[in-house]
Amino acid sequence: MINSNQKEESSKLARRLSDAIGYGTVAATIAILFFFLVWPVAIIISKAFLNDGQFTLDYFPLLFANELYKNSMINSMWIGVATTVLTTLVSLPLAIINAKYDFKGKGLLSGLLLVPMVMPPFVGAIGIQRFFARRGSVNLGLMEMGIIDAPIDWLGPENMFWAVVILEVLHLYPIMYLNLSAALANIDPSVEEMATTLGVPRWKQYRDIIWPLARPGYFAGAIIVFIWALTDLGTPLLVGYHETVPVQIFNMITDVNENPVGYSLVFVVILVTVAFFLLSKFALGNQKYEMMAKGHVTSSKNEAGFLGSVFIYTLIIGTVFVALVPHISVLITSVSDKWFMTVLPEKYTLKYYAQVFQAELPFIGIKNSFLFAGLSTLVDLALGLLIAYVIVRKLVPFPGLLDSLVMVPLALPGIVLAFGYVVTYTDTFLDPLNNPVPLLVIAYAIRRLPYMVRSAVAGLQQTSISLEEASSTFGASRFYTLRKITVPLVMANLIAGALLCFSYAMLDVSDSLILAMKEQFYPLTKAIYVLFLEQGSGSLVASALGMIGMLILTACIMGASLILGKKMGELFRS
Amino acid sequence: MEVVFNKVCKRYGDFTAVNELDLKIESGSLHFLLGPSGCGKTTTLRMLAGLETVTSGKLYFDGKDVTSLPAADRGIGMVFQNYALWPHMTVYKNIEYGLKLRKLTASEVKSRIDDVLTITQLTNFTHRLPGQLSGGQQQRVALARALAIRPNVLLLDEPLSNLDAKLRMEMRDNILKIHKQTGITTVYVTHDQKESLSMGTSISVMHAGDLIQTASPRDLYRNPNTPFIAGFIGETNLIEGVVRKKEGDIYSVETVLGNFVATRASGNYDIGSKVSLSIRPEAIAIDWSGNGQGDNPIQLKVDHLTYLGESEQFLLKSAQSDKQIIKANFYHAPDHSFSEGDSIQCFVPKSDVLVLPAQVEMGPGT
Repeated sequence: MINSNQKEESSKLARRLSDAIGYGTVAATIAILFFFLVWPVAIIISKAFLNDGQFTLDYFPLLFANELYKNSMINSMWIGVATTVLTTLVSLPLAIINAKYDFKGKGLLSGLLLVPMVMPPFVGAIGIQRFFARRGSVNLGLMEMGIIDAPIDWLGPENMFWAVVILEVLHLYPIMYLNLSAALANIDPSVEEMATTLGVPRWKQYRDIIWPLARPGYFAGAIIVFIWALTDLGTPLLVGYHETVPVQIFNMITDVNENPVGYSLVFVVILVTVAFFLLSKFALGNQKYEMMAKGHVTSSKNEAGFLGSVFIYTLIIGTVFVALVPHISVLITSVSDKWFMTVLPEKYTLKYYAQVFQAELPFIGIKNSFLFAGLSTLVDLALGLLIAYVIVRKLVPFPGLLDSLVMVPLALPGIVLAFGYVVTYTDTFLDPLNNPVPLLVIAYAIRRLPYMVRSAVAGLQQTSISLEEASSTFGASRFYTLRKITVPLVMANLIAGALLCFSYAMLDVSDSLILAMKEQFYPLTKAIYVLFLEQGSGSLVASALGMIGMLILTACIMGASLILGKKMGELFRS
Repeated sequence: MEVVFNKVCKRYGDFTAVNELDLKIESGSLHFLLGPSGCGKTTTLRMLAGLETVTSGKLYFDGKDVTSLPAADRGIGMVFQNYALWPHMTVYKNIEYGLKLRKLTASEVKSRIDDVLTITQLTNFTHRLPGQLSGGQQQRVALARALAIRPNVLLLDEPLSNLDAKLRMEMRDNILKIHKQTGITTVYVTHDQKESLSMGTSISVMHAGDLIQTASPRDLYRNPNTPFIAGFIGETNLIEGVVRKKEGDIYSVETVLGNFVATRASGNYDIGSKVSLSIRPEAIAIDWSGNGQGDNPIQLKVDHLTYLGESEQFLLKSAQSDKQIIKANFYHAPDHSFSEGDSIQCFVPKSDVLVLPAQVEMGPGT
């Protein structure tokens, strides 16, 4: 009897201890969010309004008086708008086809549509430089065919805007497509059937029934695309379109202590993204309707006829081909040996791939990226699971608040966060000049945390709470239950989320370019950028390195979509 | 293990889910918490399990205050409505899980698992995953898992509500048998009054957060203390009236259908007080002599009838009031068939008329 009592006591103690560790982790998580998300942003905002400790609005007139900054803001805004409109035009027909029609090879083709996601558009920018240069493949080809007489300056200053927009569209349309598809798939087909029985014409059904129901999903995707395009640093940088806000911020980081206008520019970016985010969330996409129980969902899809199939195949394959032009051009560039004044290279070689592993810089890039992205994924796994658990099981007083806080990085441009880190942590033990690894890992982790949290939340919501309650009735502590019951059940979601976090960390441009200041710490993307700027064969090695990066990412994203299936779309919404 | 609730309350903001519950559950009994959905019975069970915190009041196990003891320390075994079997563990692992947490010896774990597998007839399914089992088998695994840890109290939350009618009957017998074998104090939540009448040692009826009556099944059916229970446990006719005469236990109540004499009452009612009369459909008898013999004679007209084979279910109206519809079941109706519109001379034995408080106080849903 005494013995069993002692046992009971010790197990009680163990339970208390594990509870304490658990709550400690939650507290640490919240501290991390505070120091590496809230605090840096707060510092930027405060510096935009402070001069020697005095409140001032002087910087903003300076900002708007400067032609360069003013033009940059206008240009970036238009990049965001044009990209959003164009991605919508590209994705809408594809999403409707996906929701309404069945055809042979649908799974494969739908998968192909997502391929462009695997490459940061700035790598594509390297490829198209070769193709669309004055003496590049496209001009030469067109001249050979006699369509044009003189080469067109595709990437000249007057065309750079569209070059950036098109690269962004080709990269970002899958996000819009996933969101629209998910939104359309969620609509109970019987609501349309009902309208049909009432004699409502097709176009009116789209206007009065489908659109209101799909609207929240559309705006959830649209805002991500808009912010992404508006704040992407890599593409305009490599295309050479420097009159954009991200490039200006990038240039200002070095002299931020002398020039406080930089803070006000970043503040304007924060203001714009927050404003559009709120607008999309509350004014345009707030009304989410609860779908009633679904009827026969299968009956809603039409078998595409012959002409329909031809049209569908043409549309999808055409889209994928155009979207892959930058990738293909990178591929060809990376294996080209002698390539001068011809449409395609005269000779091919794999020596640049060999150089990736022989030369120091590319290899450092790959090694570092694997390390940083891997570490950040582990951080995301731990934080994401805990936060999701705390949110879904409502273990903190305001779970909704924590949820919103975790989602902030989706709307917060990477360039703002990186800028904030430099400002906040320079001259501290985390100074990125000395060793950027901790900040890089944390930046990668924080920016991808929303994917992990969303993924884990989706899994937890499908896991009945009674499974955990049952465990607790047997005397298990919360964290024993978490380990033995909850985690195994949401494992698929965790793996998928982790793969996405890893991929996007590997692709990260703004944090990598800004925070990694010494060569020994360069991640993949910064290595590609630096190689690209080098004379001689640098851009060829950069292409080869880009291809290797793409291969790694293709594997990760395919893995994630295999595991997640149709739920993939839910990860890319705010 | 004796379980005592002392003024236990559960509030969610302004909403009171359970209101000042006082209840003593005898050791070894099979006690039912019965009520319509939303009455607070599941909340009560979850407070007992420690899955829901108690807003105020005290909870005792064998006299020991367990009000703020976490679920993990209460030594209860619970069967959830959806069974809550862990889908990634086999039947064996599901049962073993709770035992492993108890740091028992390997042989003890093994023998306990074998015991409960035998009791629940699951010996052949140990290596299946829950998804590979039928509903009834899943239910038995849930039961086996809860029993294996030899709980102080076994809690069953609508354990049969996901089974079809035939399986439900089988499992009722099973649970009764297991309860008899183990003698574990068991608290059983259900909204099915037949389940509670046929199985329970005692039944507590809850309504809108209040415990209204605790009694044995027989007593509950025969002597419900409110019109709500009379209507909820079985069927009844409730007729509003006013007490006009009272001699000892014999009441005379004036209603729209005339005066009724009753010899049973749920309490003491003064002359002039408003009351409800409860008359079970099977208590109404036909006066074949047709000349108003027997207690409480009443002339009724057939409004609608449903033929059920062994009996006939009548909806009747009285000559005096068109609004009051009377339900009656006539068994073994002699070789005589009624049709709608016929008049029938009936009577109601005065020991089958029960005086209850007036219905208005019960609010909606009664």
